[in-house]
Amino acid sequence: MAVATATRPAKRFRRSSLYTWGTILPVLALVSLFTLFPFVYAAVNSTRQRILTIPYHQPFVGLENYREVISSDTFGVAVRNTLVFALLTVPTVTALGLGVALLLNQRVRGFGVLVALVLLPWSIPLVSAGIMWRLLLHGNFGSLNGLLMQLGIIDSYVPWLSDPDKAMGAVAMAHVWREFPLPTILFLAGLQTITPEILEAAWLDRATAWQRFRYVTLPLLKAPLLIVLVYETMIAVSVFDLVYVLTGGGPGTSTTLFSWYAYTATFKFLNLGQGAALSFLMTAALLIVIVIYMRLIRLREESA
Amino acid sequence: MKRGPVQTTLLVAAALVLGIMILLPFLWALSASLQTESALFERPPHWVPDPATTENYKYVFTGDVPQAYEVRGLLRSPVTQEARTLPDGLRNSFIVAFFVVLINLVLGALAAYTFARERFRGGQAAFVFILGSRLLPAVAVAIPIYMILRELGLLDTKLSLVLVHSAFTLPFTIWVLTLYFQSLPREMEEAARVDGATRFDALRYVVLPLAAPGLAAVGAFAFLFSYSEFMFALLTTSTTNAKTVPVMISAISVNPDASYTLIAVGIILSVAAPMALALVFRRYITSGLVASLTRE
Repeated sequence: MAVATATRPAKRFRRSSLYTWGTILPVLALVSLFTLFPFVYAAVNSTRQRILTIPYHQPFVGLENYREVISSDTFGVAVRNTLVFALLTVPTVTALGLGVALLLNQRVRGFGVLVALVLLPWSIPLVSAGIMWRLLLHGNFGSLNGLLMQLGIIDSYVPWLSDPDKAMGAVAMAHVWREFPLPTILFLAGLQTITPEILEAAWLDRATAWQRFRYVTLPLLKAPLLIVLVYETMIAVSVFDLVYVLTGGGPGTSTTLFSWYAYTATFKFLNLGQGAALSFLMTAALLIVIVIYMRLIRLREESA
Repeated sequence: MKRGPVQTTLLVAAALVLGIMILLPFLWALSASLQTESALFERPPHWVPDPATTENYKYVFTGDVPQAYEVRGLLRSPVTQEARTLPDGLRNSFIVAFFVVLINLVLGALAAYTFARERFRGGQAAFVFILGSRLLPAVAVAIPIYMILRELGLLDTKLSLVLVHSAFTLPFTIWVLTLYFQSLPREMEEAARVDGATRFDALRYVVLPLAAPGLAAVGAFAFLFSYSEFMFALLTTSTTNAKTVPVMISAISVNPDASYTLIAVGIILSVAAPMALALVFRRYITSGLVASLTRE
C-alpha cells in the first residue's frame, strides 16, 4: 500500500519528463554534435602539433602553438589590421545607424518606403554583397571610378582594391554598407519608445535640438547602443566572407584580418594546431571586449 | 516643434542620398548584368545599359553563348561554363534552406514551448548551453565539423548542410520563440489542458496559431542564414550535388575566365530571393530582431 502511493506520483513525473526531454533532446543532440564536440576537439588540437602534411607525428606540445602564432610576423599584422578595421567600421556603423534611424523617425510622406529599403543590404548573402562591391570598385570599369570622374573629383581611375593603402578602406566601406541596417532598426525601435511629450517638454524649456538629442534621446537609447556595440564588434572581428571575395587578405597582407589569418593557417597551411590556437585567441579577445563594454556602460550609469 | 519648409527639404535630400547609397550597388550590378562585356569597359560607364541585352541570362540558363562573346582575337570576351552551374546552386540553396526552416520551426517550437512553460531539473542549464553555443566563432569549429562529416560519409551532401545550418540557427530560434511563448497568456492553454488536451495538443492547437508572427520571423531568419552561409558550404561541398549559391558565385567571381557581365548575372540571381523575402517579411523580421536583441 505504502509502495503503491509512493510510485504513483513518480510514474507521473517520469511520463512528463519523457515529453519534456523528448522535446529538447533533438536540439541538444544537434548543438552538441556541431558545437560542443568540435569545441573540445579544437581545444585538444590547440595543444598538439597537428599539421596535416605530417600526419603521423602529433606530439603534445602544451602551449607551444599559442607561443608560435603569437610570435609570428603575420600575427602582429593581423591584430593591427583587425584593430584598424574595427576602429574604422564599428563607430561608423553605429553612427550611421543612429543617423539613419533619426532621419527615418521623422514623419515625412514616403519615408515608409525607405524603411523597407534599409533591410535590403542586410538580407543578401555577404558573398553577394562583396562581389557587388568588387564590381563597383573595379579599377578598370568600376562605376565608382566613373562616377567620381564624371563629378571631377578624380582625374584617372583608381585601383581601390589593388592598392595596399586603399584596400582596407574599400573593404571597410563595403562592410559598413552591409552592416548599418541592423543598428538602424534597433535604434529606430528605441526612438519609437520615446514619447513626443518628453521632447516637447524639453523644447518648451528652450533646449536646443542638440541638447534635446544629447540629454533626452541619447540616454534613452543606452540599451540598443550597448547591443549594437557588442554585436558590431563581434562581427567586425570575425569578418571573413567579405575578405574572401574582395581581396583575399591582400594586396600583400594589407587586408589580412584575424579570421582570415586563422583560416589560412588552418586551410592553406593545414596547421590545425595553430589554426585552433588562433581561433581560441579570437574567442578570448571577443569575450574581453564584451566584458569591457558592459563595464563601461555600467560605470556611466553609476556616475550619471 | 513644427518643421519649416527648409528643414523638410533637408530631410528629403538626406533621404534621397540614403536611398541612392542603398540602391547604387544593386542597380550597378543589375545594369552590368544587362550589358555586353565590351560596353561594360567603356568610359565613362553606361549607367543605363547601351546596348541592353538579356543574352547573359540566356547563357546561364540555356548555354547559348552570347553573340558578343564570339568575336575572335584579343577582343574575345571570356566566358565560363562555371556560370552555367548557377541554376543547380539555386536549387541546392532553396532545398537546404527549406529544410533548415522546417527543422527550426518543428524542433525549435517544441523545445521553446517546453523552455517557456516547464520548470524542470537541468532545464536552465540546457537553455544556457544551447544559447551559449553560439558564442564560438565559426572558424573555431570548422575543422572538427569537417572531420565529423567525413566520418559520417556526409561530405558534399545537402543533408550535411541542413544539419550544420540547423545547429547554428536553432539557438536563436529557441531564444526568440521562448520569449514569444512567454509573452502569451497562459489561460487558454490551461483551459485546453483541463479539457483533456495533452501538452502537445495545447502547443499545436492553441499556442502555435497565436505565435504565427514569431514563427514567421524565425523562419525568415533561418532561411536567410542558411541561404547566405558561406564558410561551411565552401569547406564541405565540392560538386553541383550540394554547392550552394554563395559558393558558386564566389568561385565564378575569382575565376579569371569569367566575364564581368556573367558575374553580375550571378549577383542578381543570388540576391533576388533574399531581397524578396526581406521585403515581404519585413514587419516580422524587424519586430523579431527588436524583441530578440532588446530583452534580457
